[in-house]
Amino acid sequence: MKVILEARDIRYRYPRGPEIIRGISFHIRRGEKIALVGPNGAGKSTLLQMFNGMIRPDSGTVLFDNQPVRYDNASLRQLRQRVGYVLQNADRQIIAPTVWQDVAFGPANLGYEGEPLEKIVAGALRHVGLEGFDRRPPHQLSGGEKKRVAIAGVLAMNPDVLVFDEPTSDLDPAGSQDIMELLDELNQEGKTIIVSTHDVELAYPWADRAILLLKGEILQEDKPEVTFGDPGIVRMAHLSVPALLELSMELGKRGYPLPERKPRSVLDLIHIIESRARESESRTESGLITVFNIDRCNIAELPAWLRNHPGTAVGAMGTHAKRLAAHEGIVLEFTYGVIDKCILRSLRGKNSLIMTSSSMADRVVTRVEAYCHESGNQIKVVQAEIA
Amino acid sequence: MLENLLDSVAQNSAFRHIHPGTKLILCLGSLVICLVSSSPYVPLISGVVLSIVLIVPARVSPVLYGELLLGPAIFTVISVIILLFITGGGEVVWRFNPAPWLNLAITEGAIREGTLVLCRVFGCSVSLFFITLTTPVTDLFNGMKRARIPFEIIDLMMIIYRYVFIVYDQAVEIWRAQVMRLGYSRLAEAVRTFSTMCGILFISSWNAGEDLIRAMDCRCYNGVFPSLGRSEPMRMSSLVPVLVYLAFLSSILLVTRGGLVMPP
Repeated sequence: MKVILEARDIRYRYPRGPEIIRGISFHIRRGEKIALVGPNGAGKSTLLQMFNGMIRPDSGTVLFDNQPVRYDNASLRQLRQRVGYVLQNADRQIIAPTVWQDVAFGPANLGYEGEPLEKIVAGALRHVGLEGFDRRPPHQLSGGEKKRVAIAGVLAMNPDVLVFDEPTSDLDPAGSQDIMELLDELNQEGKTIIVSTHDVELAYPWADRAILLLKGEILQEDKPEVTFGDPGIVRMAHLSVPALLELSMELGKRGYPLPERKPRSVLDLIHIIESRARESESRTESGLITVFNIDRCNIAELPAWLRNHPGTAVGAMGTHAKRLAAHEGIVLEFTYGVIDKCILRSLRGKNSLIMTSSSMADRVVTRVEAYCHESGNQIKVVQAEIA
Repeated sequence: MLENLLDSVAQNSAFRHIHPGTKLILCLGSLVICLVSSSPYVPLISGVVLSIVLIVPARVSPVLYGELLLGPAIFTVISVIILLFITGGGEVVWRFNPAPWLNLAITEGAIREGTLVLCRVFGCSVSLFFITLTTPVTDLFNGMKRARIPFEIIDLMMIIYRYVFIVYDQAVEIWRAQVMRLGYSRLAEAVRTFSTMCGILFISSWNAGEDLIRAMDCRCYNGVFPSLGRSEPMRMSSLVPVLVYLAFLSSILLVTRGGLVMPP
């Protein structure tokens, strides 16, 4: 994969302050999901602000698309269009008195107006699931909705890279899961996502790569199971080992056979536990996973289909699918981590259905196939034919 | 907070989608007629009609509406009571002599004046509440843009409107934190605590301003503040009733222009 962002030995000191970034080098490839993890004051936010040229390093180079970042106004404008930045405090990011105006702010300043502008804004609002919020003033929105407005405002500029500073810091757990799923959806569409956080439980299952930052230096940079897998390093960074990882280590100590790849989800963990139990037990036949593509299938037929297939649990992936389900009055059993939860259900011999859009439908198949390949289980995925 | 409440009532009003121009014509028209009328009947009728319109078709909660009217009502009643005693003219209706040097009297003229002031305040307040409760501020910004008010002023107004709520919330938080630690217990203490709050608010507003510039830079600010152009066209179905109503009000104004016609 092509490298999109690179830092070469960058250093930065706040005026009359200590050095906050002390010689950092790394690269981020196109389409990666990166978690920048570290305690407060590690320099995460400062580093993030260098990605779109808000802060210029004292020494070293930041490269975007293999070109060193230049700091004249025209180049910065170009960079900021391609690297979208979502601030930690959505209230500080939302500028305009209505949702529509705020989302339109970026594209309008890029020269769009009239119908194309309307289209872009409508698209961005649909993407984050805020259709119909056009005229609402931001102060009447909840924390999660404000976050979505801030994300829509950045999405409307169609950036290649999205940078999030503590995206879930003031959201409730369900809101956090929703936002992380939205980030997954965006990543699936080809956007590179960089997230700074100190929530290891959130970063661990989500990221492709985790960069551990401490006192302005990179402590460790690798796959999350490696970065968080060393209790010594994790303790040094004032973080904690993710519960899943800790649990699997304990299982290992108790003689459970651990696979090569450390568990990243509840599903992986269940696999470890069941693989030992399976040796003695007879197997139940695994259940079926049906993919309901909301772009191709007729949603009006779904309730009848569900009545004909009792015992099928329904999950929805993506904001659009969830909204559609709510609109049709379909009760959702799973709203986040949907594929894994359906696999878990399937292992108990039960059927499930996943509502999702075309862009995410293939992901269900690849994820289930990957699981089957690794575990030796057989789970069937079929596309719903409900026209 | 009240401002927030008023704004959300306007957002949810059934008249939200009527062109703001039509609503402004109604509001300003009835306001002017109420002010020039020398008879209390005109503002009284205007106030009652607009209140009914606000509560029935515009679906403003009657309880909330009553609470809102209570504010000007308390103030007006006190003013009218004072007015009753300080104005004169005509026959004395009621006299009160608690002490040889204190002579309180209410005359016919004073009652006339008091009634007129009471009805005028009622009529005018309701006119203003009509626009407040049916038109969100953001719609007014659009109207201003169309009225060719310089965009620098409108952009600034929009930013101020956006930040008023943020600064207010912050002020409430600081005030609560101060009250919790008995900040306003004595007068000297209260002055000191209040000035601390002002200082903190100033610094945090300054920071918010810097953040605002950064947020605008992040989104390639180039001098454009987009406005929500789409709005309902001015429809005859709402404009005609407004004009008919104003004509009706004006005709009552003409009939009663001779001054107060006392009920028999």
